[in-house]
Amino acid sequence: MRAARAGWLLVLPAAALIAALSLYPVGYGIWLSFYNKHAFFPGEQFIGLANYGAVLADEEFWRSLRLGLVYSLSTIVLQLLIGTAAALLLNEAFPARGLVRAVAIFPYVVPTVVAIIIWKWLLNNQFGLVNYALGVSISWFGRDWIMVSLILVSVWQFFPFVLLAVLARLQTIPLDLYEAAKVDGANAWRRFVHITLPQLAGVLFVVVLLRSVWMFTKFDTPWLMIQGGGAEPYIRTLPIYTFQRTFAYYEAGRGSAMAVLMFLLLVVAAALYFRLWRREEQL
Amino acid sequence: MRTIALAAALSLTVCSAHAQKVIRVWHTETQPNSQEAVKNIARRFEARHPGVKVEVEALAWGDLEPKIMQSLAAGTPPELSHGQPITCTALQSKGLLLPLDDVVKSLGEDNIWEQVKRVCRVGGTQYGLVHAAGTSLLIYRKDVAQKLGLKPPKTWADLVANAKAFSTQGMAGITIPGDNLFINILLGELVKANGGVLFDKQNRPQLATKPIIETLEFIRDLTQYAPKGWEGHGYLETFTNLYGQKAAMMYQGYGRGASLIEKNAPPSIANAEHFDVWVKPVGPSGREPAAQVDEEPWMLFKGAKNTREAIEFLKFFYQKENYLEYVQTVPIHLFPITKSLRADHDYQATPMIQRWKSWIEVQEGYLNRDQGKPTLVIDWDDMNSKPYLMEVLGSGILRDMVMDVALEQKPAKEAAARAQQRLEELLKSKGYLK
Repeated sequence: MRAARAGWLLVLPAAALIAALSLYPVGYGIWLSFYNKHAFFPGEQFIGLANYGAVLADEEFWRSLRLGLVYSLSTIVLQLLIGTAAALLLNEAFPARGLVRAVAIFPYVVPTVVAIIIWKWLLNNQFGLVNYALGVSISWFGRDWIMVSLILVSVWQFFPFVLLAVLARLQTIPLDLYEAAKVDGANAWRRFVHITLPQLAGVLFVVVLLRSVWMFTKFDTPWLMIQGGGAEPYIRTLPIYTFQRTFAYYEAGRGSAMAVLMFLLLVVAAALYFRLWRREEQL
Repeated sequence: MRTIALAAALSLTVCSAHAQKVIRVWHTETQPNSQEAVKNIARRFEARHPGVKVEVEALAWGDLEPKIMQSLAAGTPPELSHGQPITCTALQSKGLLLPLDDVVKSLGEDNIWEQVKRVCRVGGTQYGLVHAAGTSLLIYRKDVAQKLGLKPPKTWADLVANAKAFSTQGMAGITIPGDNLFINILLGELVKANGGVLFDKQNRPQLATKPIIETLEFIRDLTQYAPKGWEGHGYLETFTNLYGQKAAMMYQGYGRGASLIEKNAPPSIANAEHFDVWVKPVGPSGREPAAQVDEEPWMLFKGAKNTREAIEFLKFFYQKENYLEYVQTVPIHLFPITKSLRADHDYQATPMIQRWKSWIEVQEGYLNRDQGKPTLVIDWDDMNSKPYLMEVLGSGILRDMVMDVALEQKPAKEAAARAQQRLEELLKSKGYLK
């Protein structure tokens, strides 16, 4: 009994810290979502589920959700393809491999603000290097291309995460599996499909989950992309619209309701993902 | 012994730190020489007022309002800050600002332009005092216009025709910024130039009215001659388009453009002979031109710690030698708010003012004829009777409406109806509209 109490006492500081830093803000956000509350001025009025009703009836919410899905799904697919391909390449032996590996993770360590400033210069449609090099005059931050620009910059920025995770796993796959497959006459493609991919499945599961959550809630990259110009309505993803509702419309309650809905969407998506994955495992 | 000495030194430092009063000043003049001027003024003030420290921070236009709001929510506002005129009235209506009448008295009330005194003045009390004023300008390539035989546009149709003519010269006819703030500025001044209003007396949006529909159609027609992807261009990029010879006209230009032209355009054309200004044209339902006045007021926050010292700092800021140094950093844009400095020989002798006279004259014309208003303000009464303009601006609803017409090619009536619905919902949720 005494030992159990001591255990609780020892856990208490950590539990209090988690409650203060994690649970309280989430709880406060949920509480706010039931109120009509100005983002900065004091005073609030309880309105029940009215914020949720207003959000679901708001066509901009659905448009932002659609844009957010386009952004997150396309960046996740491209990050996976490029990150995995790069990892496979960097797992091979070649001169200066260490240096190339170090350079490959460079985009991931560059601060987002620096990355965006660099890309805004490179993609400037009047004086940018990219248009000059390609010999085209694409308006990268205009209506037709800004989502493409955002996806490209995001993939450039975040594919090294996939690369690192996959490369780490590749280095632990036993080589005798490949040797046995070779003896059985399996070509490179079959070895990849039947050995490498199954071995990577576990790490890819985690990578997809993490990157999905991070890309769906990504705020800084699209936000910085539209500072000082940039066709904002065309990359107004859900996190951006939630921020605007809270800090530009000054509607803290409605913004919180949107944030809660975003959280619920992620929970549902994650649950589905886990369920699908389990089924795959059982096959 | 050494420990005691160290402790004594430390306690002295702590005491002196406690004795020092800090005035936090946020401003939006991000040009390096303007920032330097404000810092110089702060250093001189500190030298005259031992125990007072002035912490100056220059903020980008887009960052200022959220930062002010966040500081207010946290209960730690700065002593002084610039802000949009509509932000000033919104904060005043919440009782968050202190009067600046002492500063007005020190300048002499009659010495301040009438136009400036109308900004954030409630019940005869000045809650915001403009740091300097400058109006938006229609800048054009004079040499190219002369070559084409173009005349100053009197109507919107003339302007579209000029843009079309310019676009035959290997450059875009016009450049305008596509970001939220500047589209709101543009829409506000065009609606005014077309005799319309954005909201009626009962706060109901008036987006479906003829003047606004005509305005949207005009923007659609005009932007045909803007560079491809104009909607992604920020304010500074439009200047780059102009002095980089990618565009022949700029509708949302400002006096600071003269400095940018002198600095960045090819030397042979970096002058008023090549870049001049036209008076803005009038819409089909309007009677007189309209421009936006860029005139952020200084605001003094009630919740700040050292408000008395902040008032002294403002008085010091407007003293001739300090104020002159400040306005001379961007002389074609930062018009002094005092008549005395405007008439002052030292001010008039500013070399740039001599070089860009026509730019000054057009701005003076707008101000003297009361054709210049702050962002989204159509009549001066809006300043105090519509404290929700800040939210309207921040929401981006008006910008979405403009983009729906100009980019998505939606009929103006359809775009206006959608925006009307969104604005009504916004105002109802805030209790401004029944």
